[in-house]
Parts: sequence; C-alpha cells; structure tokens
Amino acid sequence: MKYSRVYFEDVQVGDEIPSLVKGPIQQIQLTRYAGASGDFNPIHQDDEFAKAAGMGGVFGHGMLTMGFVAQAVTDWVGAGRVRRIGVRFTGLVRLKDVITCRGRILGKSSKDDVNLIDLEIWAENQKGEKIVTGKATVAVPSREP
Amino acid sequence: MPIQINTSIVGKEYPPFAVTVERGRIKAFAEAIGDLNPFYLDDEVGRASEWGDVIAPPTFPITFRSARGDSAALLRDLGVDISRVLHGEQEFEQFRPIRPGETLLCRARIVDISEKAGRSGPMAFVTRETAVTDASNEIVATMRQVTVVRL
Repeated sequence: MKYSRVYFEDVQVGDEIPSLVKGPIQQIQLTRYAGASGDFNPIHQDDEFAKAAGMGGVFGHGMLTMGFVAQAVTDWVGAGRVRRIGVRFTGLVRLKDVITCRGRILGKSSKDDVNLIDLEIWAENQKGEKIVTGKATVAVPSREP
Repeated sequence: MPIQINTSIVGKEYPPFAVTVERGRIKAFAEAIGDLNPFYLDDEVGRASEWGDVIAPPTFPITFRSARGDSAALLRDLGVDISRVLHGEQEFEQFRPIRPGETLLCRARIVDISEKAGRSGPMAFVTRETAVTDASNEIVATMRQVTVVRL
C-alpha cells in the first residue's frame, strides 16, 4: 500500500522494498526539473550542446534520478523518515529510458529510542544497467510503545 | 591536451547565504520528480500531520542556491566550463523535515579535490559540503556533492 506505515519489527534484513518504475523519460520532464531545481545546465536541454560536449546527446539530471530513488524509499517508509540518502551516479539516463528504482534492507539498529533501518538503493534502466547506486537510512516507529 | 583546474580552492568556504523555503517550490519540485506524495503537496494533509504543515522531499535542499556560493561559483573558481562537468555523487543527511516559510542558512566549502585517470581520460573529483542551519542555529541538513570534471 502506498504511504503505508512501516514498523521496525516487521522489517527483516534482506527484504526488498517495492520497486518504483519511472518514465519513459521525456524532454519535458527534464525541462520541468530544471525549472523546479534551478539546474539549467544546457547539457540536459540542448541536444547540440550535449553532443558538442562529447556526451552524445541530452541526458537526465542525476538529481532527478536521485529524486526517483528517494521516492521509492518514501513510498515505502512514508514521508519525513529519511535521515540519510547518498548515491553515486554510475550511468546516464537517456530520453525514452524507463528507470526502475529498488532497495534492499541491509541492517537494523536502535539507538536512543530511535529505530533505524539501513538500505542499499539503486536504479536501473530497461537494459538492466545501474544508473545510480547508494545507501539510505530511515527512522521508523516501533510497534512497542 | 587535458585542462588544468585550480586546486588551490580546497578548504575554501563560500559566503553563507540564506534561503526561504517556499510552499510552491516544494510542490513544483515534487511534481517535477513525479512524486505526488500528499505530505508534500496537500496542505490539509500537512496540517493534520505530525509536522503541522507539508514538508519537503529528501532531495529538496539541492534547490538551495546562491549566485555567490553555488555550482556556478564553483566552476568559476575551478576555471572550468559547465560542459565539462558531471555529477558524481550526492548525499543528504537530514536532521528534521523542512517546512514552508522557514529561512535557512547555507554554508558551503570545498573539502577535497583529487585527480584520477578515468576510462575516458583524466578526471578531477571536487567534493563540496554544505551545512544547512535554521534560525536558532540548529543543524537541519548537510549535503555532500562530488562534481566530476573531465580534464
């Protein structure tokens, strides 16, 4: 269920979170993300500029893909629960790509009455190539009061 | 011929800059990602939530920019054209959710520059950290960004 509440006791190391599929990526989304984020690098908008820069054409903002991955985490755990999220950008997102965001539980810990879950997170394109890889830490409630 | 970048800026701190979090910006940012979570978009859901208002998505602090302390300033200092840079890594640590109307102070500094031979030629990795604090000087978030320069 979307925006469901995740309880610490119900999460097991090795579990995967529900995957999130985004795209196909369209130019209008890159333009919209540029406006919303303030990143107007023409490499994401202007195909000729991107080719002249040696990038073979327009590609998506890494931060847009990171936003997708963060959404996969918050769709699962709920908004406002992410304590840390970090990624490495390992591949380019091209127009028409379909991006699947995934995550897997790496560990659980409790400290000072806060229950933390560590995840590995990644996004891959329709060819199975990893576009971003990283980790996230989320704080979740316990069933025990 | 590989280009030279100005590595002397390691340790440089940029002038702090203030940002005021706008409700419309949070919504436009979430919508641009296609993340229609009601805790970002719906004022009524926000009011009824534990935070008393809508909150910003985890990657929202990337919108905190200033002409004096953002990526454009970094590129000027490095002596690099925007067509040569790629985003290598990004990390956010968030200590509490960010809500509309708050004014936050951002302090960025260059913590590392390293050069490596990449598959497609020599590259430099420039690491910048930004601390985001609130009106009572409490830490709200930190950002760590690695910019890759194709030399």
